[in-house]
Amino acid sequence: MPSILILRDNQYDPQYRNMRDVFVLGAGTTKYGKSHLSARELALEASKKALVESGIEPTDVQAGFIANAFSLSEKQGHLGPIIMSGLGIADVPASTIESACSSGASAIREAWVNIGAGIYDCMLVTGVEKVSQLDTITATTYFSFGSDYIFEGACGASFPGLYGSIARAHMSKYGTTEEQMANVSVKNHENGMLNPNAHFHKKITVDDVMNSIVVASPLKLYDACPFSDGAASAVLCSEGFMLKMNGHASEAIKIVASGRAGGTGALHQRPDLTTLNAAVLAGREAFKQAGLAPKDIDFLEVHDCFTIAELVALEDLGFYPRGEAAKATQEGQTRINGETPVNPSGGLKAKGHPVGATGVGQVVEVYEQLNSRAGHRQVKDARIALTHNVGATGGSCAVHIFEKN
Amino acid sequence: MLGNKCEKCQAEFFPPVNICRACKSIDLKPLEMPGAGKILSYTLQKESVAGFEEQEPMVFGLVELSNGVRLVAQIVDFPYESLKIGSKVKAVFRRVKADGPSGQIYYGYKFGPPRSPRETSATEE
Repeated sequence: MPSILILRDNQYDPQYRNMRDVFVLGAGTTKYGKSHLSARELALEASKKALVESGIEPTDVQAGFIANAFSLSEKQGHLGPIIMSGLGIADVPASTIESACSSGASAIREAWVNIGAGIYDCMLVTGVEKVSQLDTITATTYFSFGSDYIFEGACGASFPGLYGSIARAHMSKYGTTEEQMANVSVKNHENGMLNPNAHFHKKITVDDVMNSIVVASPLKLYDACPFSDGAASAVLCSEGFMLKMNGHASEAIKIVASGRAGGTGALHQRPDLTTLNAAVLAGREAFKQAGLAPKDIDFLEVHDCFTIAELVALEDLGFYPRGEAAKATQEGQTRINGETPVNPSGGLKAKGHPVGATGVGQVVEVYEQLNSRAGHRQVKDARIALTHNVGATGGSCAVHIFEKN
Repeated sequence: MLGNKCEKCQAEFFPPVNICRACKSIDLKPLEMPGAGKILSYTLQKESVAGFEEQEPMVFGLVELSNGVRLVAQIVDFPYESLKIGSKVKAVFRRVKADGPSGQIYYGYKFGPPRSPRETSATEE
C-alpha cells in the first residue's frame, strides 16, 4: 500500500524575482499580560508606538495588515478599518491575516511581499489579541478552533493535549526527559525577568516546573505559555522610503529572508510527530534566500508555546541535530550569554502569547536587540537574528531573518 | 468510521478525501475503516475543550489503524498507567460529549482495549 502520510516531494521553490529590499523602519509593543483594554485599544497603542519609532505620520501609511485570530470572541470582526479609522486613516486598505498562532509572522510576510513587489512603499503591520475576558475552558476551546477542529477538538483534544502527544513521542524517540523540557521554561522565565513588557516577571526552578499541576501529561502548567492580551506593531518600508527618513533610517533593520510553508492542519496526518514539516521547509527557504546558515545567526526568537515546541523548533531549523536540543538547553547553550541565545525576550512562555501579536512581537524584540536597546537582556554584538512563528501544531510556519547593517 | 479508498493506487483515507493524497486520482470509493489499531502517542489531559468538562481528566491518543490510517481519539476503559506507545486498541461507539443546547446527543468513535471488560466477562460466563 502506498504511503498515505505523504509529504509533498515537489515543494514549490518560490523565485521572488525582482523583489525590492524591505526594511523594518520602527516597531513597538504594549505590555503583554492581562489587560482591561479592548483589542482595538491595544492595537492602537502598539500602532502609535511603531509610528513614533519610525518617525512617520499615520498619513504616510499606504496599506496595513492586522494579525488576529480570536477577535470574534469580543464580538468584533473586520479589524482593519476599525484600527485604521482609529489612526485617522480610514481610507487606507487593511485586512486581517489569520493563520492561528502564526498570524503575526504571516502578516509580516504578506507586507514584505507587497513592498518587495513594488505595490506599496510603507505598510503598517499590527498584531493584536484580547482573550482575558474568556474563562479558561472557553479560551482553550477558541484556541482549539485553530486545529483540525472536527477531528481533533471535537474529539476532546486541546492544544496542550496535542503538544503533550508531541512531547511523549519525542521522549520515546530521542529519550528527551521532562527535566530537560523544564530547563526551557526556567531559561525563558529568567529572560522574561529582564523584559519590562513580559507577561511574567517570576523566576522559577526546574523543581517548580516538575511540581506544577499536570495540564496534559507529560506537560505541566509551567511547560505551557499563558493566554495573554497584547499588541505589537511594525512599520515596513522600501529602501527608497527609508532613505527619506533621515535620522530614523539608521535604526532600520533589513529583512534578508522570509520563508513560509504549510503543513497538515491535523497532527495525526503527519508521518512523524516529532517534527513540524512546515518549520523545516520555511526555515530551509529562509536560509537559502539569505545565503546564511544557523551558525551565522546571533540569536533567535522561536515559537515556544510549550517547552517541547522550543526543542522541536531548534531541531527543525537545523540549529541542533535531532534529539540534541534538550541537552544543549540543559547545558545553557541557549541562554542569553550562551552560544545560541534563544528567546531573549522571554519567549511565549514568559513574555506571553497574545496570539495575533506574537509573530509581530518577535520582530519588535529583533528591532530592539539589533539596535542595542534591549537593556539587561541585550545579546552581545547581535547583528543577525531569526524569528520562527508557528500556527497551531504546525499547519503554518513563517521564518524570517533580519540583519542590521 | 466511513473513509474512502483510491481505486487507482489503493491508498486508504479517513476522513474521506476528494483527491487521493498519494497519486492525485479522483477515483475513490467509500470504505469502512478497520476498528483495530495501536497507540502512537497519548496524553492525560486535565483541561479539555467545551463539552468534555465532566469527563476530565480524559485520556486521548493518536491511533494508527491496522491499514495505516491515523486519527485522534479519546481512549476509554484503559487504565492510564497501563497505556504504552504501541498498546493495541479497538474502536467503540460512544456518546462523545455533553448533549447540545437543544438536547441533541453527540455520538461517535472512541477507542478502548482490544477486548472491552464487558466482552471479557461475557466470554468468561
